[in-house]
Amino acid sequence: MKQNKQFNVTVRVWRQAGPGEPGKMVSYKVGDISPDMSFLEMLDVLNDDLLKKGEEPIAVESDCREGICGCCGLVINGDVHGPDEHSTVCQLHMRRFKDGDVITVEPWRSKSFPAIKDLVVDRSALDRIMQAGGFVSVNAGAAPDANSVPVDRDRAEAAMDAAACIGCGACVAACPNGAAMLFTGAKISQLALLPQGAPERAARALNMVEAMDREGFGNCTNEYECEAVCPKEIKVSNIARMNREFLLANLFSKR
Amino acid sequence: MDTTFLKKLITTSLGRKSLMAVTGLLLGAFMLIHLGENLLLLKGETAYNGWVEFLLSNPVTPLLEFGLLLLFVVHITAGVWVRVEDFLNSPRGYEARRWQGGRTIGSATMLYTAAAILVYLLYHMLTFRFVDHSMGFYQMVTGAFRSPVFTSIYVAGSAALALHLSHGMQSAFQTLGLNHPKYTPLIKAGGWLVALAMLGFALISLYFLFNMDLKAAEAGFQVIIIR
Ligand code: HEM
Ligand code: SF4
Ligand code: FES
Repeated sequence: MKQNKQFNVTVRVWRQAGPGEPGKMVSYKVGDISPDMSFLEMLDVLNDDLLKKGEEPIAVESDCREGICGCCGLVINGDVHGPDEHSTVCQLHMRRFKDGDVITVEPWRSKSFPAIKDLVVDRSALDRIMQAGGFVSVNAGAAPDANSVPVDRDRAEAAMDAAACIGCGACVAACPNGAAMLFTGAKISQLALLPQGAPERAARALNMVEAMDREGFGNCTNEYECEAVCPKEIKVSNIARMNREFLLANLFSKR
Repeated sequence: MDTTFLKKLITTSLGRKSLMAVTGLLLGAFMLIHLGENLLLLKGETAYNGWVEFLLSNPVTPLLEFGLLLLFVVHITAGVWVRVEDFLNSPRGYEARRWQGGRTIGSATMLYTAAAILVYLLYHMLTFRFVDHSMGFYQMVTGAFRSPVFTSIYVAGSAALALHLSHGMQSAFQTLGLNHPKYTPLIKAGGWLVALAMLGFALISLYFLFNMDLKAAEAGFQVIIIR
């Protein structure tokens, strides 16, 4: 079958020795690629080659390799997470490319995600937004009966949709303004929609939005590029909900 | 008195964005009313001048005018602030970068259309507001429209306004938290309608540039239909 023929590509990768160091694009040839390899496996092959040659391998982040952890963020040929719609890089396969292709690979280049090395950036700004209120404080004790807190089915579904966010930061990378509003909107929404999130609802909206501002993320101008790339198809209606939560909390809460 | 909530309208990203959105929507509403006023030009001198006299003799008018000025000042300040911050935060250094289909021509050009509208607005003020009105308002306005340069500026300005609102109207609703499958399609369609209505300003000036006569056009139209 023609499909399984091995092929060669050239990858142009961003190499940067460390934080604050100057970086540049470096070209590497990668041979004998199977169309069934994932993009990350192709980079593994390249890194094996580099190690054999005694060169420094390319630093690149990955963990689950099944599209659920959000580690593997890269900009490939100008597309956030590569050419597949609503996908992660680990779920991108080399069959999307052909023999002789030149593939440009770059890290997320957002101001709030400082560079660490090569393709790895520091996304802990998103963690700090979570620490500002992306949780419920519950008293320890026996777990309540599952059905003792009734939840409207549509709300439960909407909360689940928001909770699908894997914190990959693709929304930030895709945003012309470097805003993190889709992420923050999803994280505020998943709890705002559920009764368990109700007691801290107002404080959560205020604190998380202020944490987002502190991290220096940009302002949303509703370009909707985030929604177009999000691997978990988080909708911008979650941003609207965040705006609503924030404005109402600002007007009507005690804080 | 605790004024933290007021401060937050200025100190937070969402606060500034909502100031921009509320003032943008109110300005949009004003522009629709203003278009209605201008349509009186087509009705004729008596109708138009009558309305202007009424406005000028009304003690509430200066108050409304001040409110309008305030809307512009807040809108421009908040909008430019938001955009300057965004410029400073925008990702830099990508070798290759493609937009994935969320952006529209309107959204990508907001800052340029904003600058064009500002020029249009200042020109409008300098030519109609801060001048000698002794020749009568109808004469002044329709006379000015007979100049191709003047009307070209109006056409370009209205087009910029239409583009600004093609993104701005629905964007403002999203900013204020109003997004729902039930009514968002309606908001988007309505936003486009308001945007297209702004071309009315261009049409009115073109009408006077070419010295068109509505009655004659109507008569001509009827002749065509009857035949
Ligand atoms: C009658 C005139 C105007 C109307 C009706 C209008 C309306 C609007 C609306 C509805 C928005 C969207 C708000 C949102 O996204 O939440 C907007 C955004 C904006 N406006 Fe205006 N505007 C007008 C004039 C101006 C002028 C004169 C300037 C500046 C010189 C300006 C600068 C901006 C900026 C910078 C934005 C934000 C851009 C963005 O969201 O991408 N506008 N305007
Ligand atoms: S909203 Fe989507 S793109 Fe943004 S961090 Fe979550 S999963 Fe990634
Ligand atoms: S490695 Fe976990 S999402 Fe790609």
